[in-house]
Amino acid sequence: MSVSDDTRNDHLLHFTVVNDLREIAVAADRIDEFCSVHGIPTATAYAVNLSVDELLTNTISYGYEDSEEHRIDLKIRRDGDVLTIEITDDGIEFAPDSAKDPDTAASIEDRPIGGLGIFLTRQMMDSFDYRRDGGRNIVTLTKKTGTASPENQ
Amino acid sequence: MQTEILKLKTEREDDILSARVGGRIDGSNAARFEEMLRSAIEESDRAVIMDFEQLLYISSAGLRAVLVTAKSLWKQGTTFALYSLSDQLRGAFASSGFDRVVRIHGSRREALDSLEE
Repeated sequence: MSVSDDTRNDHLLHFTVVNDLREIAVAADRIDEFCSVHGIPTATAYAVNLSVDELLTNTISYGYEDSEEHRIDLKIRRDGDVLTIEITDDGIEFAPDSAKDPDTAASIEDRPIGGLGIFLTRQMMDSFDYRRDGGRNIVTLTKKTGTASPENQ
Repeated sequence: MQTEILKLKTEREDDILSARVGGRIDGSNAARFEEMLRSAIEESDRAVIMDFEQLLYISSAGLRAVLVTAKSLWKQGTTFALYSLSDQLRGAFASSGFDRVVRIHGSRREALDSLEE
């Protein structure tokens, strides 16, 4: 492996989790560590954690029709000031565009429970792309790292 | 780095239930968080105020649990308020529009004062 490859690998976090909701906290630790090493601001790290959490929660809760163990692949890459997050799973196809945005102006009695996950992810990220490829769901998100405030450094 | 687990501590004084929440609330423990609150809350409570200062993280599953609690308290006529949220948590509440259905205050003092209004 060349030196330049090593440098490149420093900018990539690649790991897998299994379809168990408890894995979300494990993923969060890995992401926090990666963000901390790269000096990524707390607010950005929070947004990435939240988005990954929402997508994992959906996949783990609704993505599988059997009770087998499945692996979900996560890649987080930093290119300059842009983070790219790719989540790949072998769950059932989903249609993120069909999810209706919740009415965030609704009063307490009218506010429906649920329908928030994908909406929040779209709010938190700069881009959201979904594709189905070879029986797999691939979600790609991007987020500008932003500038750290002094207390984050 | 250690994964923060959910912590909830409650105490009641003059029909006001104070709950201190710490750690993280995600899809793995939101149902338990909701259940812990449900069993702590009594119908005779005049208000439930929750301190989120030690809460590091909340996902939509946690926001849902807060909404379910807010709805049930609204039905029984109990005031519900949150205070001391980090900027990140405030952002999550604002993005989801939950800052419109739940009262959010800067401090415990402010939350208590609002009950007198």
